[in-house]
Amino acid sequence: MVALVLVVLLAALDAAVAAWFPRFDRVSDNFSAAYLEREVEALAHDPPQAIFLGDSVLWGYRLPAADAAPTLLRRKGMAVNNLSFEGGSPANTYAMLRLLEARGVHPRLVVFNVNQKEFSAADSAYQKLHPSLETLSWPLLTGDERKLLTPTPPSTTQKPIEVALDRWVTSFWRFYALRSDLREALFGDVDAVHALDDAIQVASGAKARSDAAHKPTPDRFEGTYDLSPIDPQNVSLIFLKKILALLARDHIPAVALLTPTNHTLLHEFIDVPEYQKNLAFTRKLLERGGVRVVDLDRTFAAGEFIDNDHLTAAGNQRMAGLLGPVLAQ
Amino acid sequence: MIENVPGAQNVEEVLAHDPVYQVLGRRLAHPVFLGVVLFLIVVVMIVFGPSTESRFIYTDF
Repeated sequence: MVALVLVVLLAALDAAVAAWFPRFDRVSDNFSAAYLEREVEALAHDPPQAIFLGDSVLWGYRLPAADAAPTLLRRKGMAVNNLSFEGGSPANTYAMLRLLEARGVHPRLVVFNVNQKEFSAADSAYQKLHPSLETLSWPLLTGDERKLLTPTPPSTTQKPIEVALDRWVTSFWRFYALRSDLREALFGDVDAVHALDDAIQVASGAKARSDAAHKPTPDRFEGTYDLSPIDPQNVSLIFLKKILALLARDHIPAVALLTPTNHTLLHEFIDVPEYQKNLAFTRKLLERGGVRVVDLDRTFAAGEFIDNDHLTAAGNQRMAGLLGPVLAQ
Repeated sequence: MIENVPGAQNVEEVLAHDPVYQVLGRRLAHPVFLGVVLFLIVVVMIVFGPSTESRFIYTDF
């Protein structure tokens, strides 16, 4: 009888989660495969005017979701969905497009950003997919595509039996599968302990001291941008070409944003002919692929950046203002 | 406590005379109440549990 009551209540909770779990302005910092699957299903039924696919620049790094440019466009009445996330790259954008394609989502417009730093093999997302995107898109990729990527390594904090059990429970229990999204919605962090720790750091002033110590200085970005000519074997280039081929095959109009870059901060590293050549090469490739290019590389002033490429709230506001007319065309 | 209940030989007999236990004890023993308590424990553990999901670590400056 006790078990029956428990099962009935858990089933009722799952039904409530299925019916009322919110759709956020953007995927959470630590979004689950279940949330992404749910979002993609919703997009298949109700395709938006534009889907943003990209990295942390379009996601709105270090800013509340309400301050990110895609959210601002939505507030202006445009049917925009933001599927960008921290740790994006051409490989991730391609995997997301494959997922959308496989689930029958046909967006009226795709807006994606191309970030020059992601052509560097040293970039954390160069050959890696976000684990949740990897879960859903891995079966959709060809063998050759998979060979280009480094799969997420097994968890170091969980035993194999725990991982297997976790997968099994996740496969049928929606509330459990969405726990990371739920925690972020409730606590604004990966879990309650981290949220409490953050609150203590803020209250004690430790966060302010840490932020002050992490002011971006040029030396921190040495090596971030690979200035050698983009090689045909470059993984990001290969996936960028695949993005263009997929968009053309599915007749999906697209806008590519050349990512805003803080040239004042990075002056000594990137204000060189090699950087310009790579940027021009990328631009030409995109245009030849039939994609409209919006070059934001030098559009923003140093004061509108948090660091090398992430914009402040004011920077995002200006970006939204620039993108509005482009999307309306 | 046993001294305060005349004739009581053990804790159960003491509790049997306790008006609070008579109400609460009956409810605790009720399967629906136990099921609800277990449900709340499961939900709280999941919501407040530590994050063990594999997380893409974004590396910035």
